[in-house]
Amino acid sequence: MPSGVFTGPALEFVEVERHFRTPGGRSFVALARLSFKVAQGEFVAIVGPTGGGKSTLLNIAAGLLKPTHGTVLTFGEPVDGVNRRAAYLFQNDVLLPWKTALENVMLGPLLHRWPPSRAREAAREWLARVGLEGFEDRYPHQLSGGMRKRVALAQALIVGPEVLLMDEPFSSLDVQTREFMENDLLALWQEDRKTVLFVTHDLEEAIALSDRVLVLSAGPEAHVVGSYPVELPRPRDVTEVRLDPRFREVYQAVWERLRGEVLRAFAFRERCRPRGDS
Amino acid sequence: MTDRRRLILYQAGVLVALLTGWEAAGYRHLIDPFFFSRPSAIAIRVAEWFVGGSIYRHLWTTALETVLAFLVGSATGVLLGFIFGRSPILSSIFDPYLKIANALPRIVLAPIFTLWFGLGILSKVAFGVTLVFFIVFFNTFQGIREVDPNLLNNVRMLGATDRDLVRHVLLPSALAWILSSLHTSVGLALVGAVVGEYLGAGRGLGYVIAQAEGTFDTTGVFAGMAVLAGFTLAVDLLVTGIERRLMAWKLTALRPELA
Repeated sequence: MPSGVFTGPALEFVEVERHFRTPGGRSFVALARLSFKVAQGEFVAIVGPTGGGKSTLLNIAAGLLKPTHGTVLTFGEPVDGVNRRAAYLFQNDVLLPWKTALENVMLGPLLHRWPPSRAREAAREWLARVGLEGFEDRYPHQLSGGMRKRVALAQALIVGPEVLLMDEPFSSLDVQTREFMENDLLALWQEDRKTVLFVTHDLEEAIALSDRVLVLSAGPEAHVVGSYPVELPRPRDVTEVRLDPRFREVYQAVWERLRGEVLRAFAFRERCRPRGDS
Repeated sequence: MTDRRRLILYQAGVLVALLTGWEAAGYRHLIDPFFFSRPSAIAIRVAEWFVGGSIYRHLWTTALETVLAFLVGSATGVLLGFIFGRSPILSSIFDPYLKIANALPRIVLAPIFTLWFGLGILSKVAFGVTLVFFIVFFNTFQGIREVDPNLLNNVRMLGATDRDLVRHVLLPSALAWILSSLHTSVGLALVGAVVGEYLGAGRGLGYVIAQAEGTFDTTGVFAGMAVLAGFTLAVDLLVTGIERRLMAWKLTALRPELA
């Protein structure tokens, strides 16, 4: 870590606002007055109603989108252009279909100008770590959905990012595969405790994985309306931890806040339905 | 495998039945051999061409024109498709003109090309290029335009520069679309060559057919068609072979609707 002495937050949003232009030419304020911090090594989950600007928030943290107002700091430095300290796990499949699993994982190292032999070696190791030994030469369409997620995880982690941004990465998987993936993610995370910002609309997933749950208000003008620490022991098993009475307590508390936002989001969508934004 | 063999047997049966019927009808004067010729006469003519060696320079000419039209048409199509695909402004400005040019029946250009480029192979290549270009252009354009933005964002997050994006994402993505149009574009290059020759040339398969037609030599017309069909088949097999080799990761992965 180049800033070994820096002990401030790994990620900080300061009064971030983001506007979009709608097809009708009007301005839509997706995020407003959005401020929060993620400490180094902290696993933070963000929950909020669907369509509430969660992906926008992550894209801003990744530096793929610029905030209209406000700043984003990573390890005390403003994010300008792509956030080089972060890796991003997308919601949909983003593996390159014309590259094998190994080549996909090698891509990051090669783009960082590692020598090819070293990149290949590291990619093999990472595929083994995510349980895909023997699948190196498969193309993405020859892998199951869960396996593709594992390749994507290896692809994101191989270059040693300090922050991991995750956008509902497991939402497309069936329940069993999903719990496997969640446990594997926690096991990998436990090894070196990177900073994680995990966006989901699934409250149970958020609590099972994270140290802290942030609730995002319904859009437009989404912002953080609550922060709930999850003081459950680690290492955790995502299936068993749900039976813990403390899990239920946190769930109650967060749901209390989240329910109102979900209802608001629903009402807003209903209102918009008849004629869009005209 | 037996099912496949039986199928081939049936397919051959259709050909044999057709040729026998044709031959018999000609022999019994149910149809006039002057207008319809006879398979035996056609076969003899084709054999004469190949044994005597007179057909080779025509085959060579047509092959050369096809290859040149394909190469030039593909290269310009890929280049412009790439540029337009990356530049929404350029593509919006030129959109109506490209549509008009593509809607124009290309055959009307043949006389003008003959005037400009003469009776040699250049006019045929130019004609073939106008056919191939649009297929490749639109496919490349589409390929670049429809790259999943998340794919680009992901590779960007992994540390890609703009040049890396072209190499690792845009080109391979466009290549898939170009390859999917390979059969069509090679076929059109051949059509361009033959039609060009037919309308005015000194050599080539189209010229052979046109010459035979000019002297009411029906056998010659059919023999020319037979050679052309064989040639097309050979080219098609070649293209299929190339496709298999290049498409290691399967076209279906990117464009499932083609499966």
